Amino acid sequence: MTEPVLPRLLLVECPELEAPDEDDGGVHLRRFGRVVEALSSVCPWVDAVRPGVCTLPIKGPTRYFGTEEAVLAQVAEAVQAALDLPGEGGRDGVETSEIRQGVAEGVFAAVLAARVGAIVPAGETARFLAPWPVAVLSDPELAEVLVRLGLSTLGGFAQLPAADVLARFGTRGIRAHRLARGLDGELSGYRVAGMGPRLVAVLGHALALQDRQPGFWGGTSAADERAGEVLIALQRRLGTGAVTVPVLEGGRGPADRCRLVTWSPAVTRSPPASSPGSSSAPGRERPKMKGSRRGISQAPLEPPWPGRLPPPAPARVTVGERPVEVLDRSGVPVGVTARGLLTAEPERLSVDGGLWVPVVAWSAPWPVEERWWSPARRRAARLQVLTADGVARLLVIERRRWRVEATYD
Amino acid sequence: MRPVAASRTRLLPALPPIAALLPDGGLRRGSVVRCTGEGASSLAMAVAAGPSAAGSWCATVGMEEMGVLAAAGYGLDLERLALVRTAPGEWTVATAVLVDGIDLVVLAPPRRARPAAERTIVARARERGAVLLVVEERPGSFPAELELEVEAAQWQGLAEGAGRLRSRRVTVVARGRGVAARPVRQELWLPAATGKVVAA
Repeated sequence: MTEPVLPRLLLVECPELEAPDEDDGGVHLRRFGRVVEALSSVCPWVDAVRPGVCTLPIKGPTRYFGTEEAVLAQVAEAVQAALDLPGEGGRDGVETSEIRQGVAEGVFAAVLAARVGAIVPAGETARFLAPWPVAVLSDPELAEVLVRLGLSTLGGFAQLPAADVLARFGTRGIRAHRLARGLDGELSGYRVAGMGPRLVAVLGHALALQDRQPGFWGGTSAADERAGEVLIALQRRLGTGAVTVPVLEGGRGPADRCRLVTWSPAVTRSPPASSPGSSSAPGRERPKMKGSRRGISQAPLEPPWPGRLPPPAPARVTVGERPVEVLDRSGVPVGVTARGLLTAEPERLSVDGGLWVPVVAWSAPWPVEERWWSPARRRAARLQVLTADGVARLLVIERRRWRVEATYD
Repeated sequence: MRPVAASRTRLLPALPPIAALLPDGGLRRGSVVRCTGEGASSLAMAVAAGPSAAGSWCATVGMEEMGVLAAAGYGLDLERLALVRTAPGEWTVATAVLVDGIDLVVLAPPRRARPAAERTIVARARERGAVLLVVEERPGSFPAELELEVEAAQWQGLAEGAGRLRSRRVTVVARGRGVAARPVRQELWLPAATGKVVAA
């Protein structure tokens, strides 16, 4: 499995605004709000991670400003201007406020990059992380054990097989391991929840902001943690493939429209519901999603899918092959013509060689013609059929053979 | 030691049309509920939608065929839904592990479990405050506190060579034990044309 790549982020840190405990009357927060606002002029997808720290994707602005250095310069200028605004807490122009910037994939690596002022090239994040001491994982217990095992750097830790890490260190260990390998975005607990609404509150007006924790563990509600631990325990017992999560995507038939993906603690799915208080327009969520979805590539949900089945969706989607015979009044198999019409009225059907059941109602066929331009093309037709026993099924005919695609159980 | 179940609320919430069928108006934690009849899958999804929408995790065992699109339509939150696939002999183990930390486990037993395995699962669910939702064609396993049965179902919208399936009107009867012994009937659209469950 190729591991997906995290979004490359420019992380901006204003150290003097970072201590929320000493923030009398929200002065720091208000100044930080102005910084975020100023950055929004460089890039609309600014993510306030915690007081004094925000990120923005580097790719888009680079395309606009030419080089990454130019983006950093723009950002530095914008932040400096926002910090040095006269007024409460602002500097008097004597000394300038310190800001740090770093570029890397994922928040965790970007924080370290900002610490040393590095621009880590795309794809180099794992190599950049390797020499850092395991202490940067902010888990003293884990770090102590690792050091005792002779693994003092992230690189050494990253080379342990994930299964062994899971077995020895559990969910906390596997999360740290994913961070060390550059697969996961951030340390749990680093992000301060609800920054968006708080900034909006101090500024008194709306801000275009991302305010969503990426990743399954980001939520870290007690229920999520507990569920995650149980699912990991189950994977340990039955194999990782035993636990899957559904991803909805575009498509015509019920089976096309859902894909099962092996669950992992880092997998996030389906488009995020816009978080309360976040004022970002729906269209704005997309770029961020691409990154936080960790490579679950997805056919677009909404674009045109001609021949798509109308709702309601069937409650059971057949797994495997379930052939059906459909006969007309004179016992002749019913088919679909090239023009998409039934050759005769269906009178009875038999599923999987079972008893014959009278057909009481049926739809007009939905023709399916996919990829007519390629050798993988597919011609089929779907039909909703209601039988006398009250069961409604979705049948599909392909190469003159009917099968049950789904049951409206 | 503090009992885990007592530290949390006793009931998992249900969607209003389903709540009308439940003696407590919600799903009692630690209990076994069974859905049977034609349309049991849909009924189970509608029952699970309440807790799921309210933030509970939901896992399925033996429901490889579950229509996820339909589940989403009934209101299940796919962000907190795990589908567990097991080898034939392992579904009891999987269920026992799941009730440990998942609020709602939807189980379609592939066959009868050994009584001892059943007792383990039920006891564990009770201890951990999980709800076990059993989906079967007819009652066969697991002693359930509450039986929800689809008694009658009628699809609407499909004619001879015309129209399409739009909605299904069902009668669901709830039979409980003890105080809930008197059966309660409820007419539902399962699903309504919107894909949701609505009182008829």
